[in-house]
Amino acid sequence: MAELLQYVVTGIAVGMVYALIALGFALIWKSSSVANLALGQLVLISSWFTYGMLVQVGLPYWIGLLLTIVFAVFLGWSIERFTLRPLIAQPILSLITVTLGVGYFLEGLVSFIWPTSVAALPHLFPKEPVHIGPAVVSQEYLWAAGISLALFGMLSLFFKYHKMGIAMRATADDQLAVQACGVPVTSVFSMSWMFACVVAAVGGVLISLIGGITYGLVETGLKSFSVVILGGLDSFIGCMVAGPIIGLAENLGGGYLTPIIGPGIKDIIPFIIIIIVMVIKPFGLFGEERIERI
Amino acid sequence: MDLPCGTRNYDYARDMAVLRTRTHWALFIALLVIVFTAPLYLSRSSLSIANLIGITIIAVTGLNILIGYCGQLSIGHAGFMAVGAYTTAIFTSKLGIPFPISLICSGLSAGLIGIIFGLPSVRVKGFYLAITTIAAQFIIIWVINHWGSATGGFVGISVPTASIGGLEFDTDARQFYLIMVVTSLCLFFAKSIARGRIGRAFVAIRDNDLAAQVMGINLTYYKLLAFFIGCFLAGIAGALFAHWVGFMNAESFTLTDSILFIGMVVIGGLGTTIGPILGVVAIRVLQDRLIYFSPALESAFPALPSGFTVGIGPIVFGLVIILFLILEPRGLAHRWMLFKAAYRLWPFSY
Repeated sequence: MAELLQYVVTGIAVGMVYALIALGFALIWKSSSVANLALGQLVLISSWFTYGMLVQVGLPYWIGLLLTIVFAVFLGWSIERFTLRPLIAQPILSLITVTLGVGYFLEGLVSFIWPTSVAALPHLFPKEPVHIGPAVVSQEYLWAAGISLALFGMLSLFFKYHKMGIAMRATADDQLAVQACGVPVTSVFSMSWMFACVVAAVGGVLISLIGGITYGLVETGLKSFSVVILGGLDSFIGCMVAGPIIGLAENLGGGYLTPIIGPGIKDIIPFIIIIIVMVIKPFGLFGEERIERI
Repeated sequence: MDLPCGTRNYDYARDMAVLRTRTHWALFIALLVIVFTAPLYLSRSSLSIANLIGITIIAVTGLNILIGYCGQLSIGHAGFMAVGAYTTAIFTSKLGIPFPISLICSGLSAGLIGIIFGLPSVRVKGFYLAITTIAAQFIIIWVINHWGSATGGFVGISVPTASIGGLEFDTDARQFYLIMVVTSLCLFFAKSIARGRIGRAFVAIRDNDLAAQVMGINLTYYKLLAFFIGCFLAGIAGALFAHWVGFMNAESFTLTDSILFIGMVVIGGLGTTIGPILGVVAIRVLQDRLIYFSPALESAFPALPSGFTVGIGPIVFGLVIILFLILEPRGLAHRWMLFKAAYRLWPFSY
């Protein structure tokens, strides 16, 4: 029973972080229909950057984390400005491939600057584990879930009430109409990339606080694709619902299937879910089914 | 394709020929002579790069059929290659099946796995398919790593050298001939498919799959056929790779390789026969030069960070992919076409 509760709590917490990273993907997809496959590498490089600031440079936490956010904003801006903008109105294949190229480049950059493959961030949260009933959960998980939820709430409010947020939703709906109304579509794209990179950075820091910084972070980014697929590509609510489901499936499956099937099953469950969703309900739980015309 | 002036077709057979003019034939024979005498004057290290190039050309040609002709993005091609490699490894080392049969079988098994993971392509496309194939990559590698009794698991598996009827392909030069013959056959196969009914159906599906369906093309059949052919070639490439390296584990077939394959297709030129060859040669030679020069650079400039040798490869390839997509989306093949047009019209360039 304690085991089950433990899996459930950690699963939901990790799933929240996946959902946060997935949110960054959905943001870009909604506003500019670019599929950002460099998500994993964005997570990786911002975690390493945080490590560089906090441990190698030795800055105080709040400055270091603030710098990470600034770095993420800059990263998002430069990716959009230098790789995506020249490719506006190109076939979707080019757009997907260019993000693969960006991801490859970032991965090289990481091993260029930080050749050690493993590192740990300093503890930002108190170390004492929390007792929830019979389960013992370390505080990082709870903080991760809390921060993800808070960010999700803030982003929802932003999209609902802020002028830029409304412009972004409008762009997602109809680019041409929005342009005719005088909304600068390119800066909306730029903005959505910045937001995506910031949430990826926050998600990366939260995940690496739990599991350390490794190349597995790229896989974490890829796992959040399963969240996007399950929730539906263009749905924020979908992300928030599907994230904990994926996290739960991963942790429960990892906990109970490992003795039966073998180690490592935990890492593969999100990908199996992707295949199943693809075959049964390709547009996800909340996704909008697109009907094409010739 | 544009032909030189004065080339006339008096019958259908000549109209359909791959090699059209005397110059074509002369160049083709010269190329064959150069390639098949290469072991005489290439050094051992260049020969092993040439072998790797040949193997990669097969895999990338398969990927080109999938992406370039049929428009179905696959980011798991290294995974399908692994299926072929492990099939031949198990068949030849554990079951004692002769090499030619196991080569075909590895192509077939990779093709079948490709069809399974290609099934979602019937309903979805674009990004959805990309994600499915990434999932395929991870699932295949996981199965290889954890099915230790057959595949050797994390440790790896050793593969006997290829042999056909008592002829052992045990030296680099002999393997070179084997690989080049298979590569030529595969290229011819790919070219024939691309030129024929199937290739045209693929192009129709790539350009607009709904319109293609309206015209009477069976989408399910052709999309799965594209996956089968693409993965079949990947399986053949994987099998040759297995016999070439002799010992392998799943580390040889990573997601990074899959991305690099896509980069090669893009750099070479999507939807052309010559594209994969140009792309593979360009990237593999660049890769070799980087491995050759980066330690020298690192020792010459101690100020460089210590991850220079590891990191420079991905940085350069990532940049090359991005720059090609932005500046020359039609790839090296387009440059080659321009060059051909220019020398045919020379000295009157209009």
